[in-house]
Amino acid sequence: MKELVCIVCPNGCRLQVSQKGEEFEVMGAKCPKGKEYAINEMTDPRRSIATTVRTIFKECPVLPVRTKGDIPKDKIFALMEIINKIVIDKKIKRGDVILPNVLDSGVDVIATSSMLQNGR
Amino acid sequence: MNRYDVVVIGGGPAGVAAADAADKQGASVFLIEREARLGGILKQCIHDGFGLIRFKEKLSGPEYVERYIDMLKETKVEYVTLTFVCDIQKIDEKYILSLVNRKGISQIEAKTIVLATGCRERTAKQVFIQGTRPAGVFTAGTAQYHVNILGKMPAKKCVILGSGDIGLIMARRLTLEGAEVEGVYEIKPSPSGLTRNIAQCLNDYDIPLYLSHTVTRVFGEDRLEAVEVAKVDEKMCPIKGTERVIKCDALILSVGLIPENEVADSLDIPLDWRTKGAIVDQTLMTMRDGIFSCGNALHVNDLVDYVSEGAEIAGENAALYSQKKRALIDIEIDNRFLYIVPQKIDINAPIDKIKVYFRSKDDLDDVNLSVYIDNRKFRTKRFSHLRPPEMESMLFNLANENLSEQSKIKFCIEDRK
Amino acid sequence: MEKTLKKIQKKIHSRISPQIEVTVENNCIVLRGELDDWDQIVSAGHLAVNKKFYGVINDIKLKGFKPSIKAPNIKDKLYDGLKPDVLVVGAGIVGCATARELARYKLDVMVLDKDYDVAMAASSRNDGDIHVGIDLMPNMKKFQYNVRGNAMYDKLSEELDADFHRTGHIILFRKKWERYFIYPLIKLKARFLKIPGVKYMKREDLIKIETGLPSWASGGAFMPTGGEISPYKFTVAFAENAAQNGVKFCFNTIVEDMTVQDGEIKAVQTNRGTIYPRVVINCAGVFADVIAEMAGDRTFTIHPRKGTNLILDKKCRSYAATSMNKSPFTKLDGDKEIGKRGKHTKGGGVVHTVDGNVLVGPTAVETPYREDNTTDKESIDAIMKNMSRVAEKMTYGDIITYFSGTRAPTYEEDFVIRKGIFTKNIVQAAGIQSPGLTAAPAIAEDVAKWAAEIIGDVQPNKSFNSIRKAPPRLVDMSLEERNKLIQKNPDYGEIICRCEEVSKGEILDALNSPIPVYSLDAIKRRVRPGMGRCQGGFCSPLVMKILAEHKGVGIEDIPKANEMSFVLYGDTKGDSKDE
Repeated sequence: MKELVCIVCPNGCRLQVSQKGEEFEVMGAKCPKGKEYAINEMTDPRRSIATTVRTIFKECPVLPVRTKGDIPKDKIFALMEIINKIVIDKKIKRGDVILPNVLDSGVDVIATSSMLQNGR
Repeated sequence: MNRYDVVVIGGGPAGVAAADAADKQGASVFLIEREARLGGILKQCIHDGFGLIRFKEKLSGPEYVERYIDMLKETKVEYVTLTFVCDIQKIDEKYILSLVNRKGISQIEAKTIVLATGCRERTAKQVFIQGTRPAGVFTAGTAQYHVNILGKMPAKKCVILGSGDIGLIMARRLTLEGAEVEGVYEIKPSPSGLTRNIAQCLNDYDIPLYLSHTVTRVFGEDRLEAVEVAKVDEKMCPIKGTERVIKCDALILSVGLIPENEVADSLDIPLDWRTKGAIVDQTLMTMRDGIFSCGNALHVNDLVDYVSEGAEIAGENAALYSQKKRALIDIEIDNRFLYIVPQKIDINAPIDKIKVYFRSKDDLDDVNLSVYIDNRKFRTKRFSHLRPPEMESMLFNLANENLSEQSKIKFCIEDRK
Repeated sequence: MEKTLKKIQKKIHSRISPQIEVTVENNCIVLRGELDDWDQIVSAGHLAVNKKFYGVINDIKLKGFKPSIKAPNIKDKLYDGLKPDVLVVGAGIVGCATARELARYKLDVMVLDKDYDVAMAASSRNDGDIHVGIDLMPNMKKFQYNVRGNAMYDKLSEELDADFHRTGHIILFRKKWERYFIYPLIKLKARFLKIPGVKYMKREDLIKIETGLPSWASGGAFMPTGGEISPYKFTVAFAENAAQNGVKFCFNTIVEDMTVQDGEIKAVQTNRGTIYPRVVINCAGVFADVIAEMAGDRTFTIHPRKGTNLILDKKCRSYAATSMNKSPFTKLDGDKEIGKRGKHTKGGGVVHTVDGNVLVGPTAVETPYREDNTTDKESIDAIMKNMSRVAEKMTYGDIITYFSGTRAPTYEEDFVIRKGIFTKNIVQAAGIQSPGLTAAPAIAEDVAKWAAEIIGDVQPNKSFNSIRKAPPRLVDMSLEERNKLIQKNPDYGEIICRCEEVSKGEILDALNSPIPVYSLDAIKRRVRPGMGRCQGGFCSPLVMKILAEHKGVGIEDIPKANEMSFVLYGDTKGDSKDE
């Protein structure tokens, strides 16, 4: 059995996961998302990542971005390396895709602020 | 002089939501922000997890608040940025606010004011860090500003004191940007931040959390060179002989947030010693008629979703304010509560949808929250656990309870046997 | 003389250690040897004091202790070969006030300081009291300069545009009898010392002046000549006015040695080249004996005495309206537990600063470390225990910051203000401890005059301008005045520090001043961003940005204090130049 803390929502449910053959039994989850999280965590742990990218604009030297969905946990630092090389030179807006299908994960990296368009 | 029904001080998530809510009620609204951009602290909270309750989505801080700002821009609300309230006077039933900005000093008249001034961080000196005064000691919020807004690194190898949420978030953030986080030290025997943040910010990155530990001293004449940590006893006093010196170039503090109430102070608004925010009734009106408080200025929230919700209550009620005389009764709490908001109920105002927010003082498992009206048990709600870092709320209707000014309302946390 | 020496030897050998060598050299008592207890070394120094000699040179070493000095890490030839008329060593309040006095003459004046700004040691680490001098003896230099200095501050405040509040100081009494036994002694001494206006006031009257009067106080001695300044702002004011009048300030410059021939300083070696001054003025604070030694004119020893002060939130401004403390004879609960950290301190108590905070302290602890500015829990607890009896409402939650510094007393416990004895072109302004701040302008007058005398035939500087303008403090102005200024300069309308309400314009003014210093702490001392309850949490990045833009550098090039105290590394995203 493995103990986990669900990170899906602020409730932070304490989960107990045990494997029965191919199946997982999850205890302690207040909602179905918790069960899903626990199973993913056992088979293919994933995380969403939020960080910044460089821009060429003096007033906003960095722009916040995030993955629009979860990527495999072991690819976090590989993702950071790719993101850290990007420099934004257009006044993009919130939700615009910066990196489509990053690391073949099926997940896009998107801008999470329109600060470049709205000025300071 | 321009006149407004509602003047909102502060353009963070609370202020923007309050202004929006007041506008929806048909009030004329003016919002004042001292920074260059609306959005408050959420501008720098680039991590996701905001809006799960509000939008049923996992948004970053900027995304969450920009959605509100976009809504605000569709309304008739007028707003100014880079503007500071330097004086408030009450004249008859009106408030005259003096504002300072690059254009000069101007004055506006307000029927009501909503204080949405947010909170500030406790500093190194307020937790009595001793030793030298080098560069490299940051509050977590300041470190976050440097990294997320300026794109500059404040540390290469750091120690974090305090397990508040911003500290945990910064532990992960600095790690992602290539810094080493030696460990997070918490003076209390349990973490201050949300459990899920311990999991996803520390455990995911193998950052150790040391409970019942504190930083006792800093070293370094110019830039921080090391800190001394020690175990603490039950009274949170360092235990001799457990000291350990850790070489590092930064100390990041996440040791608590305090509501900003400088404006409230200038108006002599009574504060609650528990929340450090104003004492309010269920409309979130303070003990000064026409002045409302919401967001982290009222009490420090752990989720912005609650901030928006509370701010809407304040904004709406400010718009509906009618100068009617209040009949206030206290909400009493037993000593297992850390605090409750509101602290009072005005029985002359609507009492059919009263929302209370509260925290327990200690970690409690399997308890009942019971509400007594004149020693009669009115309602009970079960909580499988209550933890100080995790705020809880409850909605109830008192309209049919025949309340009078003599009524006594008491909230108790009781063990289930 | 021989007899006196024998007496001193006997005292030291019997009370401290027979191993100590006690001799007379150049009419100074000289102590040599090694001990393993600093307090014993200090006691030996005090025991050796005798008026028949110039002073005590206490060279007893502390076992295992290596004296050190915080030196700048710059080495260049920036000032090499310069030949100023006067070289002032040390840019504390005495050095800066002296520089301003020297500017009244047609002289080429240079001020050196090993730190990055003025007022970096005791001058920024004290309580700001302008003393009455009631505790001093009339034969002391301390007393004479205190009286003169105290009287000068009204005019100086006007000329230099620096706050001075003559609030009066209060010695509090508890029991009714103290009025009849202690007060007459105070009054008698005041008459003897010619200190005007001292009067007894009973509680009902005193509380009108001092709103923070403790509940036990039945009355007190009110001394109207006492007051407060901001010690660092006043030092900056002296320095800026001096610089305006042509004095050259050289920071990060440390005196490493001197060449002395035939009783005359020929050259002064620094980390930035050799300087050839005609006269040297020693205002080197805790290192004054080191400088005097280099100059061959040492007759005294500095034994650092550390003090700690607390600053309370502005919300607590009602705790004190003046500067008050209990009388030394007044017994209060807890007197016994309050150890030596609470004693040995003259001024202070509970002080209402000119900037509207309440300051509490200081402690007094002997230390071998000349630059020990660290703080510790014991000192803070001691101040709280002692002073919360005077500021009765004070709690730990009121404290927004605290700081320590070291005083620079001699064993004679008096100032050393004189021309050189063994070296003809040096003037000493040493042994400065409380009331050094009060005395500084008077000391400056004398030492500047003596320096001019040594040079001889010096003309007055006819273009000397005694007026200096400080950056305007907008928060203290009426809304109309403030509006007018903002119309002229919109930067005054952009609030950067929310706690102290400091505008961008005021910060820029500090940068456009005669002595601009590009560091967070220097700006904080001049115009106060970061002095408030958030301690710079919100405004420090904004201030750094303004400084960086004004200087035309990156924000990571703006330090907290000196150049080594950098705040930020380069960019996130693995900055290439950083790896």
